[in-house]
Amino acid sequence: MKTPPIAALRLPLALVIAASLLAAGGILWSRHQAGEAQQALQAMQTAIDNARRRLVQSRLQQGLVAENLAEYQALAARGFIGSEARLAWIEAVQLANRDAGLYGFDYRLAPRVNERPQLARGLPLGHTAMTLTMPLLVETDLSRFVAALHARAPGLVRVRSCRLSQPGGTPTEAINTPRLQAECELQWFTIAQPGDRS
Amino acid sequence: MFDRRLVLLATPRQIGVLDWRPGRMHWLGEFAATKEGLTAFRAIAGRHAHLPAVVVVDTVDEDYRSEILPHVQGRARDEVLARKLKQVFRNARFTGAWRQARETTGRRDDRYLFASLTDADWLTPWLATLEQERVPLAGIVPLALACQHLLEALRIQEPHVLVACRLNNRLRLSYYHGGLLRFSRLIGGDTPTPLPGSAADEIAKTQLYLTGQRILPREARLHVVLIDPSRQLDSAQAPLNADPAFSTRLVDLSALAQALRIPDDFLVATPESAPLAAIAGKALQLNLAPSELLQRHLEFRWRRGLHAAAAAIALVGVAATGAWWLHAQDIQDRMRTLAAERQQLDTRYREIARTFPHALATPEQLAQTVALARAIKQPAPAPEVLLAPVGQALTAMPDVMLDSLAWTDDTLDQGSLVLHIDAAIAPFDGNYRAAMQRIETFMQTLRLAPGVRDVRLRTSPVNADSASVLAGKRQDAQSPDSAARFSVELDYREDGA
Repeated sequence: MKTPPIAALRLPLALVIAASLLAAGGILWSRHQAGEAQQALQAMQTAIDNARRRLVQSRLQQGLVAENLAEYQALAARGFIGSEARLAWIEAVQLANRDAGLYGFDYRLAPRVNERPQLARGLPLGHTAMTLTMPLLVETDLSRFVAALHARAPGLVRVRSCRLSQPGGTPTEAINTPRLQAECELQWFTIAQPGDRS
Repeated sequence: MFDRRLVLLATPRQIGVLDWRPGRMHWLGEFAATKEGLTAFRAIAGRHAHLPAVVVVDTVDEDYRSEILPHVQGRARDEVLARKLKQVFRNARFTGAWRQARETTGRRDDRYLFASLTDADWLTPWLATLEQERVPLAGIVPLALACQHLLEALRIQEPHVLVACRLNNRLRLSYYHGGLLRFSRLIGGDTPTPLPGSAADEIAKTQLYLTGQRILPREARLHVVLIDPSRQLDSAQAPLNADPAFSTRLVDLSALAQALRIPDDFLVATPESAPLAAIAGKALQLNLAPSELLQRHLEFRWRRGLHAAAAAIALVGVAATGAWWLHAQDIQDRMRTLAAERQQLDTRYREIARTFPHALATPEQLAQTVALARAIKQPAPAPEVLLAPVGQALTAMPDVMLDSLAWTDDTLDQGSLVLHIDAAIAPFDGNYRAAMQRIETFMQTLRLAPGVRDVRLRTSPVNADSASVLAGKRQDAQSPDSAARFSVELDYREDGA
């Protein structure tokens, strides 16, 4: 085909250009539609995967709740969860002292401190140290006091340390007179609820 | 649709017009070379100005030359051919060259057929009409070339073929070598007349001419194909068959119609359409039209090509757009399915989450809280468990006096319990060596107790370290108040812990 007569071909050339523009526009538009649909599909797929994971997790959570709810509620009722019950603790110590047939005690409650992370496991666990000083007649009085305290304790308490000593150091005392002194540190554990001051 | 064209059979007396398309054709009529004929032809041409036209010329004023030229290409070939045409046909307007074959030996030159209409004044009004009506002229070809395609359609493959074709009461004899046109002549002039003599005589004369011009080899046997709708050539078959230099084949109308796929009745009504139909769909190997007459066809081809390109682009665009759109619809269908599935999953999750206690912590924290409480509630060893081994050791060693006893519970962190014992050797006579032996015995006794992992001396009655000062007073007699004080520390761990 020799040199084209451009002047006579204006309309066909315009047709070609128009067809090219329309075709390109149509293709770009439809590709854009398909691209957007593909992105939406991927987002939907991700949402489906998340919903599946959440459902599986919720079933596991359901099992956890069924397994632990009663015990959790019991712990909450005992005062392990929530704010400190210092008066109740003092009362429990007093009752335990009386149950063990001991001779009174001195106490001191320290401010609540957060527990170490390795023990707290991410929970707002803290403990309140209670220092008790009380006279004992014999060493076994301490065991009876600790047993009575565990029976009376409204929360979770552990005997952190104890020291038995003879203040006078003289064994020549009257019978039934306390000759030993026990100084013990109790730890009352509590988990703060959201909104509580730790 | 793209192959539709007008094929015109032009003679000095008239012009016939065939509207041809693949598998279908329509005879538009014959128009005499008169004023009325031209007017009618103009009307027909005007109505079909959108179709390209091929003019097939049937006239006595034609000339054919075979030439061997060096093999050249491109612009050089164009220049050689133009010079050769000028040289052979002088100032003839309608000339053409056809490169038929290439020699297989020697310089491997090209063999050309040059053709010309030596007198074509009668053709000018018809061409002027086509030009006025803006009909794109694709080319002007001699009728002999159309007959060559007729041979192809009839599948005649003899090397030397002479076609005797009688149309419009005129006899055309055309010679083909290897299926390619080499020579043609019209007998009887441009005015139709009955054959003056036997057609066989004319064929024999032509054979002698071809042999004399060395166009036809002397020993070659000429295969004569007789094509005559009016059947006047039937009488020539017998004398030709009697001559061993000839073999003949008479092609009747039905064979022609079958070869060209034309209805018999159409061919009976318009026998002129046979060569026109044969060449209609073919490329024009020999075109006698000058380039200025082909300008409109060039424009037509460009226009058609651009229209086809635009249509193809539009088609591709529509197809691609449709494909992408369908793809998008498919994705949206899948999205709708997934949305329904997600809704089901959310519903099931909400049903489960509804059973969770909202006022409490998350289920994981709830379980962790319970596990932590269980760990805290693990009982520490009771005090009497710790006092028992100490008591046994003190009983075994009455000279060891207990001052104080303390323990620290590390079971939550390290799983062990540390016991601190402050005691004294009493009475003490100042013999530290003996006192240290007693302390060591006391520690050994403690080590033997169950659950005791380690016993360490924390404070010694005397510091015999070389780096420190050691001073004292040695007493020979025992003092009731004297004592050698020491501290030991032991690690206790319940069995299995």
